[in-house]
Amino acid sequence: MRQVHALGVDLRDGLHGRSVHAAAKRLRRLLSADGVVLADLDGPVAGHGGRPDPEEVESLLAQVFEYGGNARTRLGDGTTVCAVPLTVADELAGALVACGDPVESDVEAAAALVSDSLDHAALRRARDRIAAADLRTLRAQISPHFVHNALAVIAALVRTDPDRARHLLSDFADYLRYGFSEKGDYATVADELEAVQTYLELQRARFHDRLDITVRMAPEVLPVAIPFLVVQPIVENAIRHGLERKEGRGHISVSGFGEGPLCVIEIEDDGVGMHPELARSLLAGTGPESRSIGLANVDQRLRAVYGPEYGLVIETALGEGTKVTVRVPRFTRGVVAQ
Amino acid sequence: MISVLAIGLVVVTSLVVGIYGVRAARSTSDFLVASRRVSPNWNAMAIAGEYLSAASVLGLAGLLLKNGLGTMWYAVGFCAGYVAVVALVAGPMRRSGAFTVPDFAEYRLGAPRLRKLCGFVVLVIMLLYLVPQFKGAGVVLALVSGTPYWVGVLLAGIVVSGSIAAGGMRSATYVQAFHYVIKLLFIAVPAIYLVAYAGPEVRAQALHPEWGTHFPETTPVEFTVDTRFGLDEPVTVTAPDGTTIDLAAGDHTASEGTRYVFPEGAAVPHPQGLPDLGGERWSTPLLDSGGYPLFETWSTLLAITLGCMGLPHVIMRFHTSPTARTARRVAVGVIALLGLFYLFPVVYGLLGRVLTPQLVLLQGTDTVAVVLPAQAVPGSAGTILTALVAAGAFGAFLSTSSGLLLALAGGLSHDLFQGSVPRLRLAVAVGACVAVLLALPAEAIDINVLVVWAFTVAASTFCPLLVLGIWWRRLTLPGAASGLIVGGVTATGAVGWSILLPTPPGWATVLLAQPAAWTIPLAFATMMAVSRLTRPPDWAEHAVLRLHSP
Repeated sequence: MRQVHALGVDLRDGLHGRSVHAAAKRLRRLLSADGVVLADLDGPVAGHGGRPDPEEVESLLAQVFEYGGNARTRLGDGTTVCAVPLTVADELAGALVACGDPVESDVEAAAALVSDSLDHAALRRARDRIAAADLRTLRAQISPHFVHNALAVIAALVRTDPDRARHLLSDFADYLRYGFSEKGDYATVADELEAVQTYLELQRARFHDRLDITVRMAPEVLPVAIPFLVVQPIVENAIRHGLERKEGRGHISVSGFGEGPLCVIEIEDDGVGMHPELARSLLAGTGPESRSIGLANVDQRLRAVYGPEYGLVIETALGEGTKVTVRVPRFTRGVVAQ
Repeated sequence: MISVLAIGLVVVTSLVVGIYGVRAARSTSDFLVASRRVSPNWNAMAIAGEYLSAASVLGLAGLLLKNGLGTMWYAVGFCAGYVAVVALVAGPMRRSGAFTVPDFAEYRLGAPRLRKLCGFVVLVIMLLYLVPQFKGAGVVLALVSGTPYWVGVLLAGIVVSGSIAAGGMRSATYVQAFHYVIKLLFIAVPAIYLVAYAGPEVRAQALHPEWGTHFPETTPVEFTVDTRFGLDEPVTVTAPDGTTIDLAAGDHTASEGTRYVFPEGAAVPHPQGLPDLGGERWSTPLLDSGGYPLFETWSTLLAITLGCMGLPHVIMRFHTSPTARTARRVAVGVIALLGLFYLFPVVYGLLGRVLTPQLVLLQGTDTVAVVLPAQAVPGSAGTILTALVAAGAFGAFLSTSSGLLLALAGGLSHDLFQGSVPRLRLAVAVGACVAVLLALPAEAIDINVLVVWAFTVAASTFCPLLVLGIWWRRLTLPGAASGLIVGGVTATGAVGWSILLPTPPGWATVLLAQPAAWTIPLAFATMMAVSRLTRPPDWAEHAVLRLHSP
């Protein structure tokens, strides 16, 4: 059993992983064959023990790949060589060749085992790809949302205040360069703050300056790497759902400081607030469709990067404003701002 | 009373700086100002502020008074540590993005278990470093307010954990920079005043040690602990009730609470086992407690110099620098700031030998910097100077122990109990409690002895880990772990033995009291030997490359 398990581990990375030779050696021992060859569709990739001539192997493989079934041949010294196809997701992916009078059913069972391991390897790779794609989709979800708002604001100002519109437009261009940059998934807190600045500049224009802003950042958290666009969506949420519906002046404050090994960023507004139940459903992703974009997205990404205990914390009540706290470790393996 | 007020003022001001220190930006145009990165100068001041502990402010002067000129090597080591930091770790550490040593270990070797081990070592170093801080604070508070020592220690614990809980370390950079200024001013101004006030005769005596072996004036001495002391010539002293007592030359025992008034010109008695104040052994510029001065000096110097880079609260401050280049510039700035500061403890030590030699007898040399101004300058000026020094010393305690407590709490909540929701405040409270409990029985141990213990452990554990981790790509997980364990156990055990248990005579005493010269090479050798036997991880090359590529 241990050998079988070890075979699975050796084939973790598929036929082109580092341990494929170890897998061939193990297969030879399992089959007690003279030699074993593992091949993909392009030819042998690994082997162990005494092997027949390369031409013999080639012709055997050609037979297998052509008919999709087992093939065997007798060599000059009287021993038989047996080749069995490997299938991944019902498609031919390679072959297992064993020489030295092997029992054909044993070779078939071994080939099935190898096929399963290869299948697993393929699935594992697919899962990683899906996770990465998820992250990219989440990131892309934010941008169109904001682009629309920003352009609407600037369009409204073009006639009445062209200077300011031009200024905002250049800010917006900076913001886009940041938002669409292909540099990686992480940015420093300082970079995030600049993005927030541009965003708030655009929003102030929309609010006809009835928006007060306080920013208080301890300098030691500025170089900390955090996932891309974490602070900005929260600020956006505070404005869209907290301050937009409020009469009179609104106030939003962004503060960041170190707390031992953690970096804490708090975004607080004195807007209309929301029902705690609503906040809970927003984070769970089950809130109303119109509001489900920002916070849940950030929350998911933070959890994906740092682990389940580092999600967003929302403190709110109807009419009491909202305070959202991001609390992340200052250092996490693999989180590096580019 | 003024001293208590001054201390209170320092505490309140640093709280205010800590909570509101970061300038709030009110309009978006201020945003970029707010988000500008901290300048290297501020950062250097912050590091120096956090680094200058009670050991520097109180301990150094005290040890100079007690053990002689060789003590100045401590100051050399404290500064030289940053040379090693600049040369070996500051830049690469910043490039790794690691905040603490456990972070670095995880970055470089990628094992959560090693992270736990590092967290445990952090715990040991931080506790060893915290205990002398609390001792210093307790002594100062006891001295200025007249309360017993334990009340002072307890109060210090409450003040420091309370200030962290209230958010006093939110803008750590500004608080610590503020504390550097406080310390420099409150230690330097009285020192300069004292030098000027003392007059040419005392100055000459301070610089010529052989003159300082007699009481300059009639001096009352109260023994707060049982003391055995030796006299070189017979003296007639006066008891509080007015009776005179003749003390013959030779050894005497004074029980706790005894008060003697020594007449002017009487020889200063010296406790058993200590060098005669101003004698030849005192004036030799080497550390000499066990008869092997050269080895002891080298060993101490190694411990302090290499220990500096292993101190968790030091290394994490470089994370604040935006780039590796600025990290190195910051470290150079720190050297200059420390060099400036260390001029002044020497003043207190040298003047103290002339003006307050009785402290040696009372085993209270750690208080010399606080006691000296009032002794030297009579009247309200002396009281004010004492208040300044006391406040400076308390500031030293507050800044260092806040940083240490936070690092310790971070290690507890983040490294050792990873996976649970970090409960930082609870960890701070726990850390403060343990440190206070350990500091209570530590009154009789010199601050610097304990501090050097912490440095020795750091030098024998994290120094090899960082140096090899940064400069040697063949370092492996088993190698690092075994080196940490071997270095940590030998260094902690040796110094602990020499402090707490009787030591065998001869070489063994020195080897146990100052073990750095053998524990550091041992830790390096273990790490390298075990690493050679095992295979480095695949990504080692890549991880090391990133530490060094600009």
